[in-house]
Amino acid sequence: MAMTYKIQIDDEVRDATEEEAAAIDAQVAEAEAQVAALAAKATARQAVLDKLGLTAEEVTALLG
Amino acid sequence: MALTTYVSGTVLTAASLNDNLAYAVTVPASTPGGLVFIKTQTIGTTVSSVAVSDAFSATYDNYFITINDGISSANGVLTFILTGSTTAYYATRLGIVYSGGTTSFGSDNNAASVTSAGVSQTSGLYAAITVANPFIAKPSYGTFSYQGSDGANGVLGFWNHRVSTSFTGFTITPSTGTLTGGTIRVYGYANS
Repeated sequence: MAMTYKIQIDDEVRDATEEEAAAIDAQVAEAEAQVAALAAKATARQAVLDKLGLTAEEVTALLG
Repeated sequence: MALTTYVSGTVLTAASLNDNLAYAVTVPASTPGGLVFIKTQTIGTTVSSVAVSDAFSATYDNYFITINDGISSANGVLTFILTGSTTAYYATRLGIVYSGGTTSFGSDNNAASVTSAGVSQTSGLYAAITVANPFIAKPSYGTFSYQGSDGANGVLGFWNHRVSTSFTGFTITPSTGTLTGGTIRVYGYANS
């Protein structure tokens, strides 16, 4: 069952319908996955930097 | 209505002055090249999404949307959709971390929204989004850019909505938490 959300349509604020709540759930899940994916990439990048013994600034200097 | 250009010695009448003021207010909407204010929407209190209606019309082909001020209950990003359509969003984004300048890349591939079109943080909200073709029954295109204030990425991105339908509004949804306050403004680029 979808969460309850308070949504705004122009100046009207009301509870979301089930369909609207499901749409918000889908959007939020995708956005959270994107944020998590970027964080995972950053973690992986840092792991490689640590293995190479380089700082991010040194990599930037190297690769431009 | 005519625009009166005054010269030295011209008698300035109330009617003439009022005509010029009216000209200044109304003519930019039909004059090529201008960015014309369409509407503003104040964000309510602890809302999970904000839909802005009657933003797009046949008057303009291209639009600029800004979001500023306000707060989010949690740090995240703002998703963007053309109201009523939750499919076929494609986007690419480049992020640059300002502490060190390293880059990151993200994308949306047939997503339910543009998953990261602005920033929503406990310190404030921000988005700058361009929209081409929303009212024309063709795919829409645009760009977005923002800088997270939490020390993360400055982001520049490009989006495409591959649905050939006419839309009159858009909806902003935070990736986490709720929004309180802040202002959404919509401008149209005058058609030439």
